[in-house]
Amino acid sequence: MLELRNITAGYDTGTVLRDVTLTVPDNATVALLGPNGAGKTTLLRVASGMIKPYSGQILIDGVDVTGDPAFKISRKGIIHVPEGRGIFPSLSVTDNILLQCPPGDFKKGFKTATTTFPRLGERARQIARTMSGGEQQMLALSHAYVSNPHVVLLDEVSMGLAPKIVEEIFEYLTDLGKQGVAQLLVEQYVGQALKMADYVYILDRGRISFAGEPGEISEETIMNSYLGSLAS
Amino acid sequence: MNQFLNYMVPGVADGSVYALAAIGLVLTYKTSGVFNFAHGALAATGAYVFYEGYVEQGWKWPFAFLVSLLVVGVLGGLILERLATLLASAPTVTTVVATVGLLVLLQSLMTAIYGASDKKSGDFLPTNGPRVGDVTISYGEMMITGFCLGAALALFAFFGRTRMGRAMTAVVDDPNLLALQKSNPAVVRRLSWVLGSCFATISGMLLAPKLGVSVGVLVLIVIAAYGAAAVGLFENLPLTVAGAFFIGILVNYLPSQTQKTQSLFLQSMPRNVPFIVLLLVFLFVPARMLTERGVRNARRFKPPKAFSLPVTAAGLAALLGLMIAVPHVVAETDVTVYSAFVAYAIIFMSLGMLVWMSGQISLCHLGFAAIGATVSGKLMTLGFFGWLPLVGDKTVSWPVAVIIGGLVAIPFGAIVAIPAIRLAGIYVAIATFGFGILLQQAFYLAPVMFDGASLVQHPRPGEEFSVGATSKRFEPVEGTSAGLFGIDFSNEKNYYYLALSVLVVMAAIVLLVQRSRLGALLRAMADSGVALEAHGANTNVMRIIVFCLSAFMAGVGGGVLAGVTQSASGNPGGTFDYTVSLIFVAVLGFCGRRPILSPILAAFAFQVIKIYPPFDDPTMIKYRGVMFGALAIFVAVAPALNLNTLLGTRGKERALDAEGGGGGSSVRDRLDVTPVRPVTIRTVEEPVLLGSKGSGA
Repeated sequence: MLELRNITAGYDTGTVLRDVTLTVPDNATVALLGPNGAGKTTLLRVASGMIKPYSGQILIDGVDVTGDPAFKISRKGIIHVPEGRGIFPSLSVTDNILLQCPPGDFKKGFKTATTTFPRLGERARQIARTMSGGEQQMLALSHAYVSNPHVVLLDEVSMGLAPKIVEEIFEYLTDLGKQGVAQLLVEQYVGQALKMADYVYILDRGRISFAGEPGEISEETIMNSYLGSLAS
Repeated sequence: MNQFLNYMVPGVADGSVYALAAIGLVLTYKTSGVFNFAHGALAATGAYVFYEGYVEQGWKWPFAFLVSLLVVGVLGGLILERLATLLASAPTVTTVVATVGLLVLLQSLMTAIYGASDKKSGDFLPTNGPRVGDVTISYGEMMITGFCLGAALALFAFFGRTRMGRAMTAVVDDPNLLALQKSNPAVVRRLSWVLGSCFATISGMLLAPKLGVSVGVLVLIVIAAYGAAAVGLFENLPLTVAGAFFIGILVNYLPSQTQKTQSLFLQSMPRNVPFIVLLLVFLFVPARMLTERGVRNARRFKPPKAFSLPVTAAGLAALLGLMIAVPHVVAETDVTVYSAFVAYAIIFMSLGMLVWMSGQISLCHLGFAAIGATVSGKLMTLGFFGWLPLVGDKTVSWPVAVIIGGLVAIPFGAIVAIPAIRLAGIYVAIATFGFGILLQQAFYLAPVMFDGASLVQHPRPGEEFSVGATSKRFEPVEGTSAGLFGIDFSNEKNYYYLALSVLVVMAAIVLLVQRSRLGALLRAMADSGVALEAHGANTNVMRIIVFCLSAFMAGVGGGVLAGVTQSASGNPGGTFDYTVSLIFVAVLGFCGRRPILSPILAAFAFQVIKIYPPFDDPTMIKYRGVMFGALAIFVAVAPALNLNTLLGTRGKERALDAEGGGGGSSVRDRLDVTPVRPVTIRTVEEPVLLGSKGSGA
């Protein structure tokens, strides 16, 4: 279980998150929604230790890991697939997978990755940046499969991909959820996210404006929060 | 066969040392994206520390070796890692300034402590060994080659087989992602920098017995490793090693052939092989194979704060007034220093225009200046083998000669710009570096330029000159150069004003370029070349134009500079030495980014400040380069140091406001503002719009 308690965080240029509390229970998929600039990416970065919060706590299974660097948190099973393409473009596919695997666990990991994403097996020796966007995103996603994750943080993994590929990606995510991996999902396809999620949080200008189950909220309400007063 | 073996054996030994240096260079570049121009200086430092222990302190050589490895290799590597991390998100130009600053710093420090003459470190490795034919292959050489091949193989396997090796390649792509994948990027970076510095240190110590411990020589030899690194495309270790052996053998074999000729140019060839290899790689290897490492994450330069036109105009007028007043204010004997200051300001201005306006860098600007100085000097003294036409029994007059000198530098600027068209930023810097050294080693000595060790006369207008016999012309020439408005330029003040007027013209050119369409395009190119190309502008032509213009201005500056002393010399360590180009880059690096003011400040720091207390102290002058280097490094890393924390709360807020363009529009403010209801909402019932669309269809 991943818990964020009263997180206030931001960058040199200003505070982004204010007093945000969010829980990702075991085996659950949590959708984090909100308009551009709400602080979704920042929240994931705080959760994975890429940035340190000004105040508040991060707990993994009740253990306080606030202030731990990213590589330590990732060793505790919090896997963050970052925005954009979370791969090393100048390395081969195999080398990328090797780095995703826990040290010494490469053979098993490579097998998992290539059975889940057969395409990666076909392209094992290719340099990652020369693959298509969808293949690159699959390579990024394979991180979630090969490293025995506890919680996976997914930041707009569907961004910039063709609808057909997006469907494929969502199938993989659903499959991942069925394997009992908890997910924190930031997604622009609101409908898809609601379908998959057990819980929904809506982040608005750095604050949680809604927390509950998907049934309690309609897509329309979410759109209103995205568009402000314009759509009402 | 036997004869070839004679060259083969020392060639392989030399090649091994080049390979060690090149491996270290490639290793650090590949894993940090920072090309370490100070790599050679690091090797030299290693050699000096070894010399200190082995010769001065009388330690056993393995102990001295180990101490040097620990101090320079490990400790130096850790310091460099900090530096490289701070530079990780800096633009390429800044990384060049910082590492060149480090080179200047170390070089100056070693010279200050140990003097410019070389020291003998003595042969510490065994020199005896088995004979093959008439060649002795010493055990020492065998050890070096064996160590080099072993190290190369071990590294190759390390990169190909281990997780850490992969992580080292990956860390430059995206250190944050590496951290998300359970590796500590800081540890990875530290290891690669320590390894790289150790390789540099070892190569320096191994070169020392053969070449003597001399900072200039060692730096130059390790720069030869750039040639080998280029063969490996700055990435591939086995190819780098192969390139190093190839260069090593060529350097040993060629002298036997070139000694047969009389040509000084050909005789200088062997030394230049590495630089020629380097330039050939940059000219002919497909650009896609030479991609820059780690630039993806680069932040952009923030342009200096713009002042309104009246403020700028008033400031420039005040500056001009100040400079006009100089000869009347300063001591009579100091005016010469100020004349040179003005000449240097011209060269700095040309460099500044290139760097700040177009985002490109040149490490050979004194080369352009040397071309300008020799051409204009020879034009005025009939130096070109005596075939120059006379107009009305007079030689070319001073302004015309200086301008022609600048014009002659233009084609060279264009040649240097070719890598700039084809390749990404850092490779342009390396190419100009190689070009500057090549120019000095191969052409400064040639009769068309400085002609060996003799001086090129550069008379002021209306002054007498006498040129001695040269290698190409045996009769001395005497004469008087054409006058200018009948002014007596032997008066130092008058020459100062002549130089100042040239500076004003050059400043006008810079301002004109800046305000023109070209200037806007150049700034856009520095910001995002790709976006500019998408707008339909031809960035290649712009790169050439700006390089040519900069070379022209530097050439003119060189002419004015030579006129100060009325002669110019191309001796190593002299006015036009390639190291001066590096010092220029370092000095300009800490003088801000304003097109007119910064070059003048830089020239002041470079030339004038040393005549005033407390800077006229011999110790201060000795350690001048150290200060320049340190300042350049500091300014380069300052944006990453987060100095805002020193400012206190108010200072931080002010800095933020300045960043957000003033008016308190910081992110925090924007976040707390409730969105304003839009004023106009277009609906379907907007008859005019629909109507006009309908009628148009």
